[in-house]
Amino acid sequence: MQRELATAPVAPTVLIVEDDPALRTLLMRLLREEGFQPLSAAHGGEMARVLETNTVDIILLDVMMPGSNGFQLCRSLRKESDVPIVMLSARDDESDRLIGLELGADDYIGKPFSKKELIARIRAILRRTQGGAQASQPRGAQQMVFAGWQLDPGRRELLSPDGAFVDLSGAEFDLLLAFLSSPQRVIGRERLLEMSRARISDASDRSIDVLVSRLRRKLAVSGQAESLLRTVRGIGYIFTAQVERR
Amino acid sequence: MKPLRLWPQRLVGQVTLVLMLAVALEFIGSSILFENSRIYPNRNNQVQRAAEQLVTAEAILETRPEHERISRAAGLSSRSSQLEWTPLPHLVDRERSAERKLKDQFRAAEPSLARRELRMNAEIDRTLPRDTHLKVALKMRDGTWLTMKTKIRAAPWAVLLSSVGSAFILGLGVITAAALVLRNLSRPLRALAEAADKVGQGARVRVAETGAGDLKMVAQAFNAMQDRIAGLLQARTEALAAVGHDLRTPLARLRLRAGFVSETSAREALEADVDEMTGMLDSLLAYLGGQEDPEPPRRTDIAAIAMTLVDDATDSERIATYDGPEHLPVRARPLSLKRAISNIVQNALHYGGEAALTLTREGRMVVLAVEDKGPGIPEAELAHVLEPFHRLDSARARNTGGLGLGLTIVQQILKREDGELILRNLPQGGLRAEIRLPAL
Repeated sequence: MQRELATAPVAPTVLIVEDDPALRTLLMRLLREEGFQPLSAAHGGEMARVLETNTVDIILLDVMMPGSNGFQLCRSLRKESDVPIVMLSARDDESDRLIGLELGADDYIGKPFSKKELIARIRAILRRTQGGAQASQPRGAQQMVFAGWQLDPGRRELLSPDGAFVDLSGAEFDLLLAFLSSPQRVIGRERLLEMSRARISDASDRSIDVLVSRLRRKLAVSGQAESLLRTVRGIGYIFTAQVERR
Repeated sequence: MKPLRLWPQRLVGQVTLVLMLAVALEFIGSSILFENSRIYPNRNNQVQRAAEQLVTAEAILETRPEHERISRAAGLSSRSSQLEWTPLPHLVDRERSAERKLKDQFRAAEPSLARRELRMNAEIDRTLPRDTHLKVALKMRDGTWLTMKTKIRAAPWAVLLSSVGSAFILGLGVITAAALVLRNLSRPLRALAEAADKVGQGARVRVAETGAGDLKMVAQAFNAMQDRIAGLLQARTEALAAVGHDLRTPLARLRLRAGFVSETSAREALEADVDEMTGMLDSLLAYLGGQEDPEPPRRTDIAAIAMTLVDDATDSERIATYDGPEHLPVRARPLSLKRAISNIVQNALHYGGEAALTLTREGRMVVLAVEDKGPGIPEAELAHVLEPFHRLDSARARNTGGLGLGLTIVQQILKREDGELILRNLPQGGLRAEIRLPAL
């Protein structure tokens, strides 16, 4: 974590849009302690005012707010800016999560979340989006197709060649996404670890190997899996299939 | 469409009308039968009349000289009986029981025949109504013979019925007809009873508002009652769900505040409490929201879900294994299916220490079995553990934080996918929970 802060030239600005004053204050304090520069707004109007006068790196947006709710705010924000958005919701409801992600939110966290979880997610998103040209998480409805499989990064869904929904854990999904972003190139374990760290609790080379073997099993279609994710001895892995974006 | 204006609208009227019609029918029917029975004379009367005729003819012929007798006998014949006089007998007496019986009847009817010689020949028709063609010859006092040919009608069935059971059979017919009509009338009542039974089991049934006026009112009232109950339940559910959602914000604050507690053990305990409350809320909301899940059913790889859950358990250092194919699609709502399997796996880990998952195909069903090595569930409790808010009343269950909704939710979810949950104690100890879903 220290290394992370050192690479950031200035403290990232986080805008908290949350109608509950106590939670807002708590989040402010927590983010400040973690080295972010927090701003806050109690509703949509205040959010617009804050955005007029400040440059914001990431927005934490509560879904259930009086007036215009988080989804509406998210949609209108997306029309004019690409600023990363994390939805905070009291409804830990999958359909809500999907709506949020489809409206262009970058992540969705259900309440109650822990401090660790929140910070890890924020860092992961900042890492992805501040990496400049790197587009590891393409936004919107861009589908990725490989060897008959279909991956929807927005809905975080993987469909097998016969059209079945294949459940992936968060870490498995991030890992697959990392492979799909750099297909047919050797990716080192270190890099893979970094790309999917937000979801792995004890990150080590060994955990990457375990993750890859789990992913292989889920991608197994009559012996094809081994060739999709090939081990490059001593270095890492290579994703062998061609990835088509639609 | 109104079939008949005169048809009464209320049940009492309809039943009364049917009964009245039945009584009228019975009355008319029995009068007709009674009339009919008088048309047909009974057999004894016929025999008596034949005997009388024979005796009268003899008395007349006796007074005539022999040459007049032939024409005189013909003159005495009527449409139903022919008389013939002959000097010599031309009828052979047939001594069968029918003839003997008739002879006795003749003699009983006319005592003057008692000592006289009678020859008799009775032919009974083979076909119904089995009339008797009777030839009877009487030896006159001067040794000549008077022969009579007549027909004794057998009593037809209607006559028999009228005397024995015509009224009974008619009554039976009328009662049957009335019962059929009344059965029709009571159909709406039976439909209502069946509907009430189904409603009791939680289904929502619309009763057709047909039938007699007052039955229609009952059906309408029943439907309205159902709507009100559903509305009431809906309102309660929504209120409870709203509270559930609202609780998440203070819980979020609590969890974040816990992060500021410096003492590690206190912080961890606080976080565990918040996790427990979150778990309860989650299961309550899943139970309440289970009825109207917006998620559409789709082709879902149940093997992948099982593997993810086993891997998750392994990551948190629990013992869980998966044995089965890498892919096996079923038709289900993936997120609720995952919740169902997760509940079962969590139960196995919690009570049984470990979870062994096996996925197989049994004919038309996909079976995901989760076995543990715990104490199982007492047989008497097996049926009840699926009831909402039910918890095993044993020491090992007392330290669980749940609301007793886990298995209820599983069953709710599986029912919606046309599947089922089967719980069974293993002979070697431990519980086997089977999730059965129709195969694709």
